[in-house]
Amino acid sequence: MEEKKNIILSVKDLVVKFKVRDRVLTAIRNISLDFEEGKVVAIVGESGSGKSVFTKTFTGMLETNGEVTQGEIWFEGENLMTFKKDEEWMKIRGKKIATVFQDPMTSLNPVRTIGYQISEVIIKHQGKSKEEAKQEAIKLMERVGIYDAERRYDEYPFMYSGGMRQRIVIAIALACRPKILICDEPTTALDVTIQAQIIHLIKELSQEYGFTTIYITHDLGVVANVADVVAVMYAGQIIEYGTVEEVFYDPRHPYTWGLLSSLPQLGEKGHELFAIPGTPPSLFEEIKGDAFAPRSEYAMRIDFEEEPPIFKVSDTHYAKTWLLDPRAPKVEKPVTIQNLHEKMVAITAKGGIYGERE
Amino acid sequence: MANENKEVLLSVQHLEVSFYNNKKRFRAVKNACFDIYKGETFALVGESGSGKTTIGRSIIRLNPTSDGDILYKGKKINGKISKEEQRDLVRNIQMIFQDPAASLNERATIDYCISEGLYNFHLYKDEADREAKVDRALESVGLLPEHKSRYPHEFSGGQRQRVGIARAMIMEPEFIIADEPISALDVSIRAQVLNLMNKFKEERGLTYMFIAHDLSVVRYFSDRIAVIHKGRIVEIAPTDILFRFPLHPYTHSLLQAVPIPDPKVEKSKELVIYDESKRDLSGEKPVLQEIRPGHFVFANDREMKEYEAKLQEWEKAGK
Amino acid sequence: MTADNRFEFVKMDETASEHIAAPRYSYWRSVFRKFFSSKVVILMLVIALAITLFSFIQPLFSKFDPTVAQDILDRSKRFLPPSLEYPFGTDHVGTNMFDAVWASCGNSLSIALIATAITTVLGVIVGAFWGFSKKLDKIMIEVYNVVANIPFTLVVMVLMYVIGRGKWQLIFALSCTSWLSTAYFIRVQVMIIRDREYNLASKCLGTKTSTIISHNIMPYLISIIVTSIARDIPNFISYEVFLSFIGVGLDYREPSLGRMVQDYVGYMQTPSAAHLFWIPVCLCALISISLYIVGQALADASDPRTHMI
Repeated sequence: MEEKKNIILSVKDLVVKFKVRDRVLTAIRNISLDFEEGKVVAIVGESGSGKSVFTKTFTGMLETNGEVTQGEIWFEGENLMTFKKDEEWMKIRGKKIATVFQDPMTSLNPVRTIGYQISEVIIKHQGKSKEEAKQEAIKLMERVGIYDAERRYDEYPFMYSGGMRQRIVIAIALACRPKILICDEPTTALDVTIQAQIIHLIKELSQEYGFTTIYITHDLGVVANVADVVAVMYAGQIIEYGTVEEVFYDPRHPYTWGLLSSLPQLGEKGHELFAIPGTPPSLFEEIKGDAFAPRSEYAMRIDFEEEPPIFKVSDTHYAKTWLLDPRAPKVEKPVTIQNLHEKMVAITAKGGIYGERE
Repeated sequence: MANENKEVLLSVQHLEVSFYNNKKRFRAVKNACFDIYKGETFALVGESGSGKTTIGRSIIRLNPTSDGDILYKGKKINGKISKEEQRDLVRNIQMIFQDPAASLNERATIDYCISEGLYNFHLYKDEADREAKVDRALESVGLLPEHKSRYPHEFSGGQRQRVGIARAMIMEPEFIIADEPISALDVSIRAQVLNLMNKFKEERGLTYMFIAHDLSVVRYFSDRIAVIHKGRIVEIAPTDILFRFPLHPYTHSLLQAVPIPDPKVEKSKELVIYDESKRDLSGEKPVLQEIRPGHFVFANDREMKEYEAKLQEWEKAGK
Repeated sequence: MTADNRFEFVKMDETASEHIAAPRYSYWRSVFRKFFSSKVVILMLVIALAITLFSFIQPLFSKFDPTVAQDILDRSKRFLPPSLEYPFGTDHVGTNMFDAVWASCGNSLSIALIATAITTVLGVIVGAFWGFSKKLDKIMIEVYNVVANIPFTLVVMVLMYVIGRGKWQLIFALSCTSWLSTAYFIRVQVMIIRDREYNLASKCLGTKTSTIISHNIMPYLISIIVTSIARDIPNFISYEVFLSFIGVGLDYREPSLGRMVQDYVGYMQTPSAAHLFWIPVCLCALISISLYIVGQALADASDPRTHMI
């Protein structure tokens, strides 16, 4: 395996627990995942599925009441989980693994100029002089799409719009030439038209700078746009993993089926939209069997008794559901999501614009 | 369109809303005009800061208006009105809020949250009747009577939003303003809430004003759409017409930007950026004009000619 | 092997996932649990309670009266060191210091408590409406600006000179303007919460402003009000001590910690009688500190954000 693919980050059997109100919440339940170099990996899941917590462990940024109780994370020949001190993390955090958060203001200092904040990072990480750093910063600002960068160099974050601030955060992240860029819902707070531009920018930059992107989102439209590989998370586990085509056109887990079926694009006027019933499980409770079973119409008795193993569908496609066991009855994916591509083409082709298709 | 013989429930005429910040005037809504017919779902679509929420809040009297009229069943409801009229309005028009985490009182039980409106107008015979009403309201949104004694923070986002819906529905309103009711919810929960809203609409013959930014949801959910940009309504049309014949460039860019959950479609898409400063804005001042029955677009005469040509071309292509 | 019946579909129960398994949340129970989770706080609570109870109960039995010095002629009872009969010793006129200290402490405490109660009740009510009404705000902010710029000590001293010395005069002087700063404090908090979405929702449901204040805003202010009380009580105790010490607080007919400190400050350096000065001072410090820590802990515990972690 290791020979064929170039694995940049490897997570092995990770468990993360939080202490809340004297109770223990298990946010990540035994995740193992390899990240291939240069790929865009999208992590999809709803809030509380653990997608943010999962990536925060890569940079040691868990909240103080959280703790990795088990597992390893291998990056450049080091197990990051052996790190004790913040200084050790400083070699990784921001420098080799950078993060772009949902709210750009959390990453920007409101009382420093935009230019200062970018060149500070360049001086620190690339060891350039002040003048060189300024030139480099302006170049970066232009690269992330700030017009008139030279003039805007001396402006403060509040003078920028939300989309522009997010561009700056990306520029700062790029200034350290990271190996991995974690994008934690970077466009959720932005308008759709701006979102499209930011996603476009991240994709372009990842090719230009050759970093690996881990993109966290709950929006399947964004996933379709940005991802090479998709990991679907539910209740602290990865329940399906595959290339973006496999996950959209040949999904295997009932939760993935449910997610795709409930897309409003597939809804017909006057008919009910498919909806996953119920509410995600509380992670305070010990989960027995398949966490999705109580909400699944495909749940079998075994789903309530035993946790399913990860079944291999193809070399690149895995799913964690008993439905793939040879003993399970054969089921087709729901009718709603059969021929997904044709259906999407049909609605986008209408009028030639909702997606601009010929 | 058969709009003429439909009953107009709410009419917004030349609405202006301005905010003052240190004597600087900011026009949040500019000359908005539209009608909402009884029994339809009317969507107001725009980006953040476009003024869509302000319009919704002006209708329900949370924001004062600076000019223009809002008529509900032909009666003016903005500006000064009597206590009696205000009471009627509260019972007839209700609102569903965007953020279920922020729109429930964290220090009150679910029982109180849902009963609040009942208490205010004493809409129950006795305590047993009130409890029965609350139980029925909870059940109608798929929650359990045992939830009554819980506090909002014990619920998931989807459950809270359903509490918010139950709280509005218990007033038995005719008209609901839903301000981005699903955008703060998880994807797997959104469909539940949309279905629930549709169920209530069918059962009770409600009229919705649906404020949203996500066009794919609006396409499924609403009958007519108004697109708003920087406080100005730029296009109004029935849903299928707007998706087939979007005329205003802003509508165009909005439709374009919605990501389609299909990798092949999405990956071959090109990026179109709407930049107002790059548009040809010559000619006289544009106004909202009806180009086809029921299809309005914000344009001047020169642009109208362009749009007309475009429409004819599309219609000839048989789309 | 027979067919594995574990691989049969199960009928879905739609409401199953709606149940909330977590134990019921109760605000007050969480407050108590959080409050009693610290040993230091429990110790301080015991100290504060013990001092308070003792200083209100002991004088009922001792019937201490500062104007009566029955042993003034008995030289053998002057400047006695602490003993079983006189736990805190006696002073230059043979006063039983134990009785004097507790009577004084009770009096000082009651002044602080009554002044705090007036300040808090007035401040919270005015502050709540102040935060809501734009018209009231225009007037009140001017009043506040004027009053806040005059030093509080000066206001109290001038008032005491005008209305004369005495317990109720002092309470009046202390609470006369202090409620204004509590009200201002509350006003700011109300303005922060006032426009939150849940209050807009209540407005849309036709809820009256007074109900919004009592049901939506006040519960959120509990911890802020407790903080303000925790700050006010020790504050008023020290004001009483200070004012009586400089001679504008209570007169000779009223026992108080401040009067004791003033009376015995001369013995501070006298080794044999230093306890006359230090006992009231220490008691004053002890009660201020314990009340402050208890108040802060209660304020913390009543903030539901601390219930989560």
